[in-house]
Amino acid sequence: MIQLTKGDKFLILFIVMLSFLSFAYINRYALSDQERYVSVQVNGQEVKKILYDEQLVGHTIPVESEFGYSLIEIGDRQVRLAEADCPDQICVHQGYVSRIGETIVCLPNKLVIEVKGESGEDDIDIMNY
Amino acid sequence: MRKTNKMIFISLLVSVGLALSVIESAIPLPIAMPGARLGLSNMVVLVTLVVFGFKDGIKVGMLKSTVLMLVTGSVSSFIYSISGAILSCILMHMAYKYFSKVFSLIGVSIIGAAAHNFAQVSVAVMMLSNTRIYSYLPFLLLVSLFSGYFVGLSSTYIVENLKKNFRVLFSRQETI
Repeated sequence: MIQLTKGDKFLILFIVMLSFLSFAYINRYALSDQERYVSVQVNGQEVKKILYDEQLVGHTIPVESEFGYSLIEIGDRQVRLAEADCPDQICVHQGYVSRIGETIVCLPNKLVIEVKGESGEDDIDIMNY
Repeated sequence: MRKTNKMIFISLLVSVGLALSVIESAIPLPIAMPGARLGLSNMVVLVTLVVFGFKDGIKVGMLKSTVLMLVTGSVSSFIYSISGAILSCILMHMAYKYFSKVFSLIGVSIIGAAAHNFAQVSVAVMMLSNTRIYSYLPFLLLVSLFSGYFVGLSSTYIVENLKKNFRVLFSRQETI
């Protein structure tokens, strides 16, 4: 059996630590959803843009238009419709959405809530190497 | 050792590396990660570096990538593989030449594998113009640790064997 030298062991340790540390760092900072925002559209027009913020958790934002009334509730990096005056309540029952590209649609109120963001990994359908 | 002998030996090494690359692509990996490879052909580059030196090592690495592109027909993977080959060859040479007291061949090979992955990911970042791909690097580095270790281990045996059975290779300084 070939012996590892001290330098080898140090190198292995270094790479393991480097990858774990950078992984932790990436998870914490780089991939946080700062660029992710919620776009509220009524009748195709964007009426509100909501950026996630710690202080916004639990806040509700009312949206009133000629088509109806809805209440948006912001969660921890997620968003849902808390109330709506539409007859079927499909939008309210959908619950929270958080991933880029997910939408809540309320047809009677002509309201679309879309989670938008910079094209990140979540947007890539397929990768070819 | 004459020039022709050396040329033949280098072309043999390139073809061995090619065969290894083709075989390697047929071996399924237990983890599904694009870009993670066994790096068996890195063995050939490492052995060339040790036996013939830097110039021939990088020659073998680049030739191997180029001919592999002709074999497999995928140009995008050629760009990844040649950048990895060049960077890993340079770093392995430096580690072998200047730090051979610190690192054994296993350490040198781990450096090469890590450099290969780093170059690949950097090229992917440039090609897809998305820096987020770097978040993929830690996983690749961990995988490169294992592949680099085993490649280094086998290279040690290969070099030992070559030293025993092909003494002519190691006396080239006097004859060329």
